[in-house]
Amino acid sequence: MKGRIALGILIAAMALMPLLLDPRGYWIRVLAITLLFAAMAQAWNIVGGLANQISLGHAAFFGIGAYTSTVLLLKFGISPWLGMFAGGVLGGLAAFIIAIPTMRLQGHYFALATLAFGEVMRVIANVWTSLTGGPGGLSVPFTAPDFFAFSFKLLRPHAYIALAALVIVTAIFEGIRRSAMGYRLRAIRQNPAAAEVIGVDTTRVKLQAAVISGALTAMLGTLYAQVAVFFDPDTVFGIAGISIRIALIAILGGVGTAAGPILGAFFIIPLEEIMNDLLSSRAAGLSQLAFGVILIAVILWRPRGFITVFDQLWARWSRMRSP
Amino acid sequence: MSRKNSAGTIQMNRRAVLSGTAALLASPSIISSARAEAPAVNVGVIMPLSGPNAQFGINGRNGIELAADEINAAGGIAELGGARINLVVADATSTPTTAGNVAQRLITQADITAVLGAFASSLTLAISEVTERRDIPLLTMSFADQITGRGYKNIFQVVAKASVIGKAQFDYTAAIAQAAGSKIDKIAIMYEDTAYGTAQANGLRAGAKAANVEIVMDDAYPLGITDTTPLVNKLRGSGAQAVFPVSYLNDSLLIIRTMRQQKLAIPAIGGAAGYVIPDFEKGLGEFSENVLSINTSNYDLAPELTDRFRKRFGYFMVHEALEHAVCLEVLVQAIKKAKSAKAEDVASALRGGKFTGGWINGMTGGAVQFNESGLNVLSVPLMVQWRGKDIVTVWPKDVAKSAPVWRT
Amino acid sequence: MSLIQAILDGLLIGGVYAVISIGLTLVYGVMGIVNFAQAEFLTIGMFVAWFAWAFLGLDPVLAAPLSFAVAFAIGWVVQGQLIARVLSAPSVAQIFLTVGILIVIENGSLLLFGSQFRSVTTSYQTESLSVGPLFISVPYLIAFSMSLACGVALWWFMRASWFGRAMRATAQNPAAARLMGIDTALMYKMAFALGVGLTAFGGAVILPYVTVFPGVGGQFVVLMFTVVVLGGLGSVAGAVVGGLAVGVIQSLSSLFFPIQLQNLVLFVVFILVLAVRPQGLVGASR
Repeated sequence: MKGRIALGILIAAMALMPLLLDPRGYWIRVLAITLLFAAMAQAWNIVGGLANQISLGHAAFFGIGAYTSTVLLLKFGISPWLGMFAGGVLGGLAAFIIAIPTMRLQGHYFALATLAFGEVMRVIANVWTSLTGGPGGLSVPFTAPDFFAFSFKLLRPHAYIALAALVIVTAIFEGIRRSAMGYRLRAIRQNPAAAEVIGVDTTRVKLQAAVISGALTAMLGTLYAQVAVFFDPDTVFGIAGISIRIALIAILGGVGTAAGPILGAFFIIPLEEIMNDLLSSRAAGLSQLAFGVILIAVILWRPRGFITVFDQLWARWSRMRSP
Repeated sequence: MSRKNSAGTIQMNRRAVLSGTAALLASPSIISSARAEAPAVNVGVIMPLSGPNAQFGINGRNGIELAADEINAAGGIAELGGARINLVVADATSTPTTAGNVAQRLITQADITAVLGAFASSLTLAISEVTERRDIPLLTMSFADQITGRGYKNIFQVVAKASVIGKAQFDYTAAIAQAAGSKIDKIAIMYEDTAYGTAQANGLRAGAKAANVEIVMDDAYPLGITDTTPLVNKLRGSGAQAVFPVSYLNDSLLIIRTMRQQKLAIPAIGGAAGYVIPDFEKGLGEFSENVLSINTSNYDLAPELTDRFRKRFGYFMVHEALEHAVCLEVLVQAIKKAKSAKAEDVASALRGGKFTGGWINGMTGGAVQFNESGLNVLSVPLMVQWRGKDIVTVWPKDVAKSAPVWRT
Repeated sequence: MSLIQAILDGLLIGGVYAVISIGLTLVYGVMGIVNFAQAEFLTIGMFVAWFAWAFLGLDPVLAAPLSFAVAFAIGWVVQGQLIARVLSAPSVAQIFLTVGILIVIENGSLLLFGSQFRSVTTSYQTESLSVGPLFISVPYLIAFSMSLACGVALWWFMRASWFGRAMRATAQNPAAARLMGIDTALMYKMAFALGVGLTAFGGAVILPYVTVFPGVGGQFVVLMFTVVVLGGLGSVAGAVVGGLAVGVIQSLSSLFFPIQLQNLVLFVVFILVLAVRPQGLVGASR
């Protein structure tokens, strides 16, 4: 119950924000990117939170999505909306392909195998120049504004699309969590051997979670391509810029909870921007250093995520209410 | 000036108050309040100030700062009532998404007339997507072909493009070899698989093909490679008479050193970047002597200007510093021509006409002129050669400061 | 013949990969922490060795113990003040704490030392030994020998010294170790400090052929993790096997595939090995 109220308030607040911000401005762009990363972290949360498989290679799916829709647009003139679904299919397929060899891997081994997979995709994108444009990257062409071509003059529509994406991915996350699949995932998370014994097909359930997560992440790649308009293999397949960042967002917020990725994104991305604004002109590296220090402080303060702050507040409020 | 009393609170003593007030009264802003100050012209400077390109971002920023300080010291922009240049500097980081955010922030919050930046082509491309859509001019020395290949109206590149630079890297070498009585039939190309390396390699290939020279080795290698032995092994077995490496500093040092280890004495002609910074000579010592490299500009074309950089910052004016100073100079000239600091006026002033004077004397031809795609058509690549701790322009003949030394 | 040269080169460079990665696996083995900041201690080791060379004229190989000592000290403090506080937190929190430390060290170095690329010039940098038609690069050979010496010293330390055995006991069963009178908090500090010290030692050893700048550690992060996971997290022997394997795979792959695909080949092999042996080649999983 408390989760749903919190979530509802969050979503309402986010729906109002784009209206209050200058549509040509800077903060609306930051908002759009924040919402997008929140959605990505939520998609990651399906495997990272529900299945407790810490993936450090989700950039693989993100990049597949961004490249699929953009290449289809550039080569065949296909609308990015359709390209997004094509990307989703390929992302799901990629998730399937990587899930199989990594099925039996424990914790840290799994994390590093997925990291390796992300790098494999990045190198492929870098090398296969005829398809992806290679290291030079791709630009989504500058066309007249048209909803069906996913082209907008201003940033407000992008912010709303990102918000819609976040709501949808969160709904899927919650849907899985409360369903039989979520129950099985919890069983696997707590005791894989016991889960097998009671008849949970651990392989099938993990594969399902991976494919859903991969497909969603890929579709978000298309959203990114349309808002950033230019990207190269390092940007969309990047370990630091994408894979680690979305895992960090989910974890700082509270992995395994629906509100976690949202809290994490609204903390990390504006923080980076503010640090850059305040400090980057003073000395090279200072803004990043400040960010790193704050990151360490936050993890030391709340190792289980920001959501624990709300849990504590709620617990205190409940205690105050009941005599 | 203030002292804590025994209670621990800070007490301002009278002298502090009096001297503070006196300073305030003496400051120009109070005394000259009768004379209205022309509003400063804000110029956005977006460079990678952290991450692997920090060195180059800092160099670029230094070049711009020098030029801006000189212009301000000379009285600012007379046509705008002596308006000063106010640099708004920000870190592009190494992520194109952030570079785009930063550009948007500067445009919205700092009321900038133009953006200068961002060394790395991927960052510049990301920024250009923002500046083009907001009609703010972007001046850059990044040279990936795409920068001027998209038909954008607000992008202005002061140097030649990558494919031209790559082709010159080959053509000049062939000419220098010929002048020394050597003929090259087989060459090797090795390049980092970055936008810069790949684009320049395309130019090299085109140059070799046009001259009917056989490319016996053509290999990309991953950025950040830690061991170049396989590359040099392959080079040794290829029978190439000259090698054209396109790389940043770490790989350039590795390649030259490994070649020496394997007693491979063929000439290496570098592709700018790592080959034309002071750290190259510091790393190789005597082995840097007479190494050739292509470059987009060089400080010895205008020593009267570039020595000022060396004096202030302690190292020779590397090409990215010079070219960024030129970007600022061109911008200021365009503002003067338009008699306005509004972005659209400045952009149209940039599009037509030739710019000369000031730091522009450091570019080939002593002038800058942009065509419709935003490319400076007067910029010609230069071949430079290490002599001691300096790089000297040796080709083309009409701008060379010294004859090239060709060792076979 | 080029096959033998490739294998030789791979082994030489693999030995170095091993020594810089041993520390990472040691930290994991004793504390269960995947230390993303490990490669930053490589950077620290390289900077220390560079300054020793620039101001004291010390050859980097001789400065390696100094790098070890400085990193050991910094690691001791970092473990005590930061990492110790999250030992009971979820492992993901631990991992991302080390990510924060990575960012701080990298940008701290940028602020302190500047962005210039610094390298050393030594007399043997451009030398190689010729054994028949084969070339053996002297800097690689020296690095390999130092790595070997370091590996042997570590092996002796873990086997024969009291500290080494206490650390292994702590790794196997912290509660039992405490019952035996071992101060596990101290052991954790030792393990972490020793681990990062070893990586810094490796950094000094590779300085003759790698340029140091604040981001140099970042170039080795993925490689180091590939080495330890391939060999088996927590196993020192695994780091050695992993290091040699990675070196040889990289080297051989450039004979058969374009050099650009070097890392692609490595990662594909890595994933396949893990698919068949989920605990790594010499796997001693925790």
